[in-house]
Amino acid sequence: MARFIGMRVAHGAVTLLGLIVLTFALQFIIPGDPVRMLAPRTPSEEVARRIRAQLGLDRPWWEQLGRYLLRVAQGDLGESYVRRQPVARLIAGRLPATAALALAGVLAEILLGLPVGIAMALSPRLRGLLSGLNLILLSMPTFVIGIALLLALGFGARLFPTTGGAGLRELILPALTLGLAGTPWYAGVVRDRLEESLGSSYVRMAVAKGLPNRWILFRHCLPHVFPALATMAGMDLGAYLSGVVVVEAIFGWPGIGLLAVQAMQTLDRPVVMGTLLVGGASVIALNGVADGLRMILDPRTREEVG
Amino acid sequence: MAPITIASGWPIEARRPLWGGIALIGLIGGIALLAPLFGDPYHQDFVHGLSPAGLPVGPTPAHPLGTDTLGRDVLARVALAGRVSLSIGILAAFLSLALGATVGMFAGFYGGVLEAAGMRLTDIGLALPTTLAGLALTALLPAGLLRPVAIITLLFWAYPARLVYNETLRMRRRGFVEAAVAMGEARHRILLRHILPHLRSLLLTYAPMNAAAAVMMEATLSYLGAGVPLPTPSWGNMISEGQGALAFAPHLFLAPAAFLMLTTSGLLLIAEGLKRIHPEGARFSWLAL
Repeated sequence: MARFIGMRVAHGAVTLLGLIVLTFALQFIIPGDPVRMLAPRTPSEEVARRIRAQLGLDRPWWEQLGRYLLRVAQGDLGESYVRRQPVARLIAGRLPATAALALAGVLAEILLGLPVGIAMALSPRLRGLLSGLNLILLSMPTFVIGIALLLALGFGARLFPTTGGAGLRELILPALTLGLAGTPWYAGVVRDRLEESLGSSYVRMAVAKGLPNRWILFRHCLPHVFPALATMAGMDLGAYLSGVVVVEAIFGWPGIGLLAVQAMQTLDRPVVMGTLLVGGASVIALNGVADGLRMILDPRTREEVG
Repeated sequence: MAPITIASGWPIEARRPLWGGIALIGLIGGIALLAPLFGDPYHQDFVHGLSPAGLPVGPTPAHPLGTDTLGRDVLARVALAGRVSLSIGILAAFLSLALGATVGMFAGFYGGVLEAAGMRLTDIGLALPTTLAGLALTALLPAGLLRPVAIITLLFWAYPARLVYNETLRMRRRGFVEAAVAMGEARHRILLRHILPHLRSLLLTYAPMNAAAAVMMEATLSYLGAGVPLPTPSWGNMISEGQGALAFAPHLFLAPAAFLMLTTSGLLLIAEGLKRIHPEGARFSWLAL
């Protein structure tokens, strides 16, 4: 177990380092003059040169990369061109809102996907209907689901606010959007695992013993579903912590994603790159946690360590 | 008690989704190809296109899908947007699949440095949060119609690379590859003649799903203002415009959203149909219900 954790952490660290170098390389290779963002409208040669020197842009690339790595290691992600604040502080301020939405979204996915998947595996009659619904949901990008909900429940039924904000009432529609977008995936995994279990010899044994169906389902079949479900939930949580960009943009939820969208629109590169780094780090970290969780829930996978 | 058979997939024939999907894509593709027949997408009709209060009108004989807030015909715009969105989505889907398959095949077959470098890059690619990375690339690349193509390609190649890599690794250990090596065939010939044909069904089923995801990603980017630049219409930026008019003109959202969904569901149906031609075997249950 300890060896697995060590390997997994090392693997994650290498990936993260690669990601940091990649963000640096992208900024280094692709032209786009930060001087234009910082200086008055037509900077003189002298002013432009001084700004470049201040930012260290006149140094050779390896020195710039070294400084960049050092700064990132200390948690310094640079300063926003537009807001003139440290990027790390901007992102930290948005983290609680994004975390709340991510948790609520994953919860909604499980609450919707689990019963749908169970119904699909157990009832041949519901299966066709639910598959059709799943196809419709799968064919909608997340932002279309969000706007459709806004149209139906916000403007149509007037049940929910349509103007954005960060309260509990404002959380319901974005979370429901994430839940609906994830339902087909979760239902598919639940159905697959459940069907696998229904055809297994331990269920045959339980039926032969005369156990009631409900007992077999809850005690023998569902435990077979949970490891896969936990892995998916963990990976989704990581992805959502990186800013549920479109959902935040639709509902005006003040999280990391909305910050990134606004920064993109104002060409505020340090903020965009900072959110990308923090987002990538949370994906890598939560993927690792998901793997660990699956090993705890499903002892068979502990042997895969390599 | 006899075991109850559960047919895998839906209770309809295997090929029906395939043909249904092809029909849907044909319909949308046809409308997109014939876009100029539906009128000028940039013409502002101040006579029939706007209500006396200056608001967009719903479906009328002159404008079958209504008009937008500037009095432009929605059908003409949606059709032209179809050209833009479909060509970007399908081009990006093809490029990302080709790039990913190449990386995966080379890394899996040749091993060594190629494998180490290729798979570490794939790991990074898989760790990128898709939409955020799309925004970051938007801030870095010059604007234009090719920008979304480049972004989607760079975001989507890692998944097929991982799939193809795993499959190639499996193939490399099979007897027919060993036999070819023993017979002294050139390595690149083995890759092309013995391994690539076995990847065909994997690539074929992945391609329509990848295309559906690419079309959705283009719409997402355009919705966020990071994709197709205005005034060129795309389904994504039309939906974004429609969101502002949800309270008084929901058809501005519904029309492009419907076209987008018909396209993606068509592609997903094709993927489903192709999957069913190579089924993994029917399942059954011991539980009587």
